[in-house]
Amino acid sequence: MTHHHTLARLMRWGWLPLLACIAVAFYVYPAAAQLHVDAQQSRMQAFQPQTLLQRMQNHELASTVQVLNSQAPSVIVQFPLFPSGVKNVFPKATGVVTIVQGNPEVSLFETVTVDVENMPPDTTFTIFFIEAANKPFGHVQYVADLHTRGDGTGDVTFQTITLVAFATNSDAPEVSKDQSGEASGIQLEHLGMWFSSLQDAQKLLNDPTLKGTPFDGGSPPLHAGPQAMTDGQTDPVF
Amino acid sequence: MSTLQYRRRSPLAVLKGPFLLLIAMLASVLCGSVASAAPRQQQASSAFNANAQLLKQMVQHGQLAPSVKIVNTLAPTTIVQFPLFPSGIKQAFPDATALVTIVRGDRDDSTSDTVTVDVQKMPPNITFTIFFIELANKPFGNVQYVADLTTRGDGSGESIFHVITLVAFAMDARNPGTSQDQEGTTSGINLEHMGMWFSSLIDAQEVLNDTTLTGTIFDGGSPPLHAGPQAMTDGQDAPVF
Repeated sequence: MTHHHTLARLMRWGWLPLLACIAVAFYVYPAAAQLHVDAQQSRMQAFQPQTLLQRMQNHELASTVQVLNSQAPSVIVQFPLFPSGVKNVFPKATGVVTIVQGNPEVSLFETVTVDVENMPPDTTFTIFFIEAANKPFGHVQYVADLHTRGDGTGDVTFQTITLVAFATNSDAPEVSKDQSGEASGIQLEHLGMWFSSLQDAQKLLNDPTLKGTPFDGGSPPLHAGPQAMTDGQTDPVF
Repeated sequence: MSTLQYRRRSPLAVLKGPFLLLIAMLASVLCGSVASAAPRQQQASSAFNANAQLLKQMVQHGQLAPSVKIVNTLAPTTIVQFPLFPSGIKQAFPDATALVTIVRGDRDDSTSDTVTVDVQKMPPNITFTIFFIELANKPFGNVQYVADLTTRGDGSGESIFHVITLVAFAMDARNPGTSQDQEGTTSGINLEHMGMWFSSLIDAQEVLNDTTLTGTIFDGGSPPLHAGPQAMTDGQDAPVF
């Protein structure tokens, strides 16, 4: 009688764990897996040439951005830099930034080349990814230096996370929009160049009233000069 | 005939041969010592690397973490190495190891540092994100996303990237502030630690067999909080670079 009773109870309630397993298989796991797939897919899709072109049309990328007709799966983006702090003394200064991503799905980082011409000669500039192209610039990330040659030309190539660069304080992380949608942190989607030395800037720009800025690493603070070049756009350039 | 000739030679003439030999030997010894002294002097001058010596002193004085090794490089190069230790993967992959090598050409001329991260015995076929961080352990503070590393099937992996490293800092230019690095007071918040995170929360949950893990911010792109927990850290209180 007892065995019969137990068997009956098992039959009555035994379907509950089975149902739970089915629920997990059909709803929970796919939902979780979807998050993984979403993250990868949105990142991959966001940086396909076609998508980038659409984003330019929608003003989600600046009109100065060129998405090159590169072979799949590579993505190559270019945009110009314009003189900001050097505009009066070096009005013909130009810069071109080229960002190459091998394959959005598997790339470990992007390769960035910055080429400049007609810049102050024999001068070191710092390069930053920035939140806003112009003052107050917001959050920034120091990525490389560029030293110009005697004829005012120069180039530097560096490799780091670029197309999804962001800044955050993980104590209180923010969320912001990038080309792939909502993303963690504050997106850094602009690029600027600064005089690494205030003295260089004062001399070259013939302006001893210029003040130091924080746009160089190392001691002392505020030993850098003003911004020299900027992408100058309101919409993101990458 | 030859015997006669021998007999005709004077005693001085007999000594002439060994004397010349002795002179030749002395000359060769002198020349050899002068020749070998020159490169030794050169070696001594180029072997002294003021920057490396300074960094070594910083390790001794606790300004750099004891886990940091300053390699005996030729001036003006600087090579710093330090290990990463398993944090989030400690239970499942206790033997995981990582070595970070930072190479800087010349303090005054180099345009960026070259960073190599080598890992072994890590979860296989998994992508990790690499961040420069303010603090080695939670809450990590300000961070900078610098590279990814995807492990091979045997759990080994490598990533090489070029970016400003030894003077990396985070800053909101609206309120830049200052902080201390090895050179003194500098602008912004210095980022002097490194950590690796699972780029995918789902990967972490699967690999670590823990479905309770929650998403973190440590990957770029959408959606937010799709990254997993920290996997490796330098684990030091003092800076590692």
